[in-house]
Amino acid sequence: MSKKRTGVFVCHCGTNIAATVDVAKVAREMSGEDTVAFTQEYVYMCSEPGQESVVQSIKDNKLDSIVVTCCSPNLHEKTFRDNAQRAGINNFTCEIANIREQCSWVHADKAKGTEKAIKISRSVVRRVNRNLPMDAVKVAVTRRAMVIGGGIAGIQAALDIANAGIEVILVEKQATIGGRMLQLSETFPTLDCSQCVLSPKMVEVNRHPNIRLMTYSEVKEVAGSVGNFRVKVHKRSSFVDPDKCKICDHCTEVCPVVVPNEYELGLTSRRAIYIPYAQAIPASFTLDEDACLGLNPIRCGKCKDVCEAGAIDYDMRPVTTTEEVGAIVVATGFDLYGPENMPELGGGRVEDVLDGLQFERLISASGATKGHILRPSDHKEPKDVVFIQCAGSRDPAKHCAYCSKICCMYTAKHARLYKKHVPDGRAYVFYIDIRSGGKGYEEFVQRTMEDDDTLYLRGRVSKLYRKGGKVRVMGTDTLTGQNVEIDADMVVLALAMTPSKGTMEIAKTLKIGRDKDGFLAEAHPKLRPVESVTGGIYLAGAAQAPKDIPETVAQAGAAAAKVIALLSQATLSRSPLIAKVRRSHCTGCGMCVEACPFIAIRLEGGKAVVNEALCEGCGSCSATCLRAAIDVKNVTQMQIHEMIEACLA
Amino acid sequence: MSDQQPYEPKIVAFLCKWCSSAGSDLAGVSRIQYPANATPITVPCTGAVSPMYIMSAFNKGADGVLVSGCHIGDCHYLEGNYLARRKMYLIMKLLEFIGVEQNRFRMSWVSAAEGAKFAQVITDFVGDLRPLGPQDKLKRAEIK
Amino acid sequence: MINLKDIRETARDMLAKGEARAVIGYRRGSRGMLAEPAFLTKPEEADELVWDPTCFHNLSLYLVHDRKHLAHAGKNSGGAPVAIIAKGCDARSIVVLMQEHYFKREDVYIIGVSCEGTGVVDERKLATHLNGVQASNAAFDGDDFVFTTAEGEKRIPAREVMADRCLECRSPYPKEHNLVFGEDKTGRQLEAPFAALDRFEAQGAGERWENWARHFDRCIRCFACRSVCPMCYCDECVVDSITFPVTTETTADEKASRIRWIERSAARSENITYLMTRAMHLAGRCTDCGECDRACPVNVPIRLLNNKMEKEAREQFGFEPGASIGGPSLVASFLDKDPGEFIR
Repeated sequence: MSKKRTGVFVCHCGTNIAATVDVAKVAREMSGEDTVAFTQEYVYMCSEPGQESVVQSIKDNKLDSIVVTCCSPNLHEKTFRDNAQRAGINNFTCEIANIREQCSWVHADKAKGTEKAIKISRSVVRRVNRNLPMDAVKVAVTRRAMVIGGGIAGIQAALDIANAGIEVILVEKQATIGGRMLQLSETFPTLDCSQCVLSPKMVEVNRHPNIRLMTYSEVKEVAGSVGNFRVKVHKRSSFVDPDKCKICDHCTEVCPVVVPNEYELGLTSRRAIYIPYAQAIPASFTLDEDACLGLNPIRCGKCKDVCEAGAIDYDMRPVTTTEEVGAIVVATGFDLYGPENMPELGGGRVEDVLDGLQFERLISASGATKGHILRPSDHKEPKDVVFIQCAGSRDPAKHCAYCSKICCMYTAKHARLYKKHVPDGRAYVFYIDIRSGGKGYEEFVQRTMEDDDTLYLRGRVSKLYRKGGKVRVMGTDTLTGQNVEIDADMVVLALAMTPSKGTMEIAKTLKIGRDKDGFLAEAHPKLRPVESVTGGIYLAGAAQAPKDIPETVAQAGAAAAKVIALLSQATLSRSPLIAKVRRSHCTGCGMCVEACPFIAIRLEGGKAVVNEALCEGCGSCSATCLRAAIDVKNVTQMQIHEMIEACLA
Repeated sequence: MSDQQPYEPKIVAFLCKWCSSAGSDLAGVSRIQYPANATPITVPCTGAVSPMYIMSAFNKGADGVLVSGCHIGDCHYLEGNYLARRKMYLIMKLLEFIGVEQNRFRMSWVSAAEGAKFAQVITDFVGDLRPLGPQDKLKRAEIK
Repeated sequence: MINLKDIRETARDMLAKGEARAVIGYRRGSRGMLAEPAFLTKPEEADELVWDPTCFHNLSLYLVHDRKHLAHAGKNSGGAPVAIIAKGCDARSIVVLMQEHYFKREDVYIIGVSCEGTGVVDERKLATHLNGVQASNAAFDGDDFVFTTAEGEKRIPAREVMADRCLECRSPYPKEHNLVFGEDKTGRQLEAPFAALDRFEAQGAGERWENWARHFDRCIRCFACRSVCPMCYCDECVVDSITFPVTTETTADEKASRIRWIERSAARSENITYLMTRAMHLAGRCTDCGECDRACPVNVPIRLLNNKMEKEAREQFGFEPGASIGGPSLVASFLDKDPGEFIR
């Protein structure tokens, strides 16, 4: 093997690196390495002239490999690998040494930072010395997408993808699509009716030739990788054939079981056989197995008796299918922060204290009270209503540290809608700050304050409790410095948004990361906001972070665009950095076969053989092999050994 | 009084690419400062960390070795960290058994969201290693 | 009580009928009372076989040798299996080798011998006990060993001169066998499992290090431990930079990518790395036959290292090496409930 000619390109990143790392010294030290034929430092390596200079230097100096010491490989590994290819050398002979995120930004001491940057760079130079040129593995793409979650984010993503001529499977856990938006009354800042906007989209989803709807279904398992996922979907049994159901409502009239209605957030009840709401998609009743007396004509059987359409089938069984898709959009939405976590705000046990979504149902024309605002305890019209913002948000000590972003706006909306319904009522809003960035948002809040005569009190509520048929709210007005006590007829908490329970589960199933608050983690906070860290899996809506409807729709469209771009390719490049067996050292003991999480290794003629289509390159085999007979290409034990040496030199 | 500088331990940190290396990146993006003693080597997965790496690092003069990866259940490769947990437990016990100070080997789970935790793990590790001074039990003699 | 005649007859019979290609057993050695491994291929050799307290060799090593010889000669085993005399620990070694596909079950005919209430002798303990007197023969007799010496017959309670591993043995009966002689006395408890290890571990970290440092300093890296171990069947050891099996399949790239995990000099640091690597590589595979410990010319207590891994595997992962041919391997498997408290 002739000696490598490696080029080392040290980036200053303006002062981001250069301020705390002596970049000239790093370059000097690297030029002393046996395999380094060229070094250069530059203020912004990733800029146009920087990249050009990399390409030119590779050509001029006949380099066969490069190390760019700069920021995290998550940012510019691809940039510089593309440059390597442009300059005519194999892109897998380019590696990044991360001396910014993992060095210059975290160590103020320049001497120590420089020393560490040299070690990092040297170890990568040694690694590159044994990197082999490699061609990406081409794999065919399954031209079908799956969208998980049938709220507005999922609906929008599904429609956008389907309209591009790509087949979409939309998976929804509930019996109907529509999600949270379906529960809203009117939307800020235009006050247009939520269902009026959403229902046509739901119908379109249902009718779209490219969309296959799977409601009452959950994703259980995912295998494969970008371009070729195999997803196991479990469809619960609804015991009603949607094609036969005429939604005549006779079944609910005879059903003896009464349970709280989830869609109405418990403000009303429903029967064991029910339709979530009148315009549900698919338009069919669903029999709630958990509530039903026993799916058995002997136990009850009343609904089946009255169903003239013969749509009810007690023998319907859950079905698990395996769907093959090339890309996945996760749009699993949000839940509200549990009021039980906040004893100071009643802990969810004080009557007439509602959350924002319950209030939406209360003022919705289709809601429990047909749009009349009546408080739950005595069905009287509340005259004093206190709205409490930041209930659970912006409270790092006790609750969620983050701002839930939409509460300022919907609280203003709630106050306005309340005043519209109860013109002689008094609305109070406790707030910390008003955050109304967005088109027409600030004006909307101002109108709520001025035109609608809502009393905004800057401060937190310390306590609330039931007193004499009212809810006593104890708070502070920090602008006047006075304590405020209000005997309210009703209190509405703008609870923090949290990732839905389903989001946490799906993140585990898909092995995609979550951030410190549990929301799905994007691949890069600025540059890759709709991608997960796993290739082929995209994010949309409030599962990624609190956001309002326009933002959700925009993100769903962006995720759809990514999916379309991905699935428009005939083949995908798969990383060739997969396991390779050194046959001479393999004794066929089979430990790697047992350790491989992907069942990608088998024994053939007494030797381990890697299935290149299944291997993900995790290296579990190589760490298990007692004989170093199996290695991940370009991350071999030999390379790690030399990197260890470089780190300790 | 002596104005002697505290001993600066040399640490090799094996970070999995998906969680701990990303967590370390986040510490950087958040500008959370921590000691510069640990040199990272990014590996695909903690499951790829051979016990040989740990011994080799000590043999080549590391004062401490860290292996950090995704939390249980979060492994990008499904099971790599489970395999690592068992292997690393065994090597840790073996090191302890021959009398190597417990604090010289450490394992942690640091997710991509835990920048602050990564900084803390390194800070704590360095703090625990300083009083131990240089590691010379497994260190090859000719390496000064 | 095992009747030696039965073993001899079985061996003779199998060889005569061609039911076994060879019988691996023990015969009287050329050096005093100690038994030595015997590789018999003719029925008339069967009378050479012995069974006594000096049969400490783990004969599965010779199954490994046999396979290597065949492989080097480019032959396959051809029909008849090799029969082997195996104690409890030896039989477990054979199971591990089968788990690792080193040979197939039908290639080996296991003639199990139960250690019953005793085990094999520890030469060092015996020498101390006999106070310099040479013994010419050893025999089992119930819970005693009977030694023939120049001063006449000496009866010694077995547990006074037995190897530690036998005292601590949890299963002195070869569960995996085709034929077995002797009673199953699994569950006999002469000493607590890992008793010697526990005594060593009771010391503080500092004392443990001082002890090990002395031992590691003494190691001359003769690799006797490796040579005598049936589990060290690799053609090339990962820590070696000396031997190098160049086969037709060895590429130039492979020749160039030898990792020098340790240096050749028998320095303490290198000896530690070698012995620890060996312990890691034997974790879940070592069946505590004690041969490495016995073979060490400078008395490094190698068994303790392997024992430590065995104890952790048993207590933390519920793992018993060589329990069943289809069982999992220790380091290629995991359980949800594996300990994780040590992880920060």
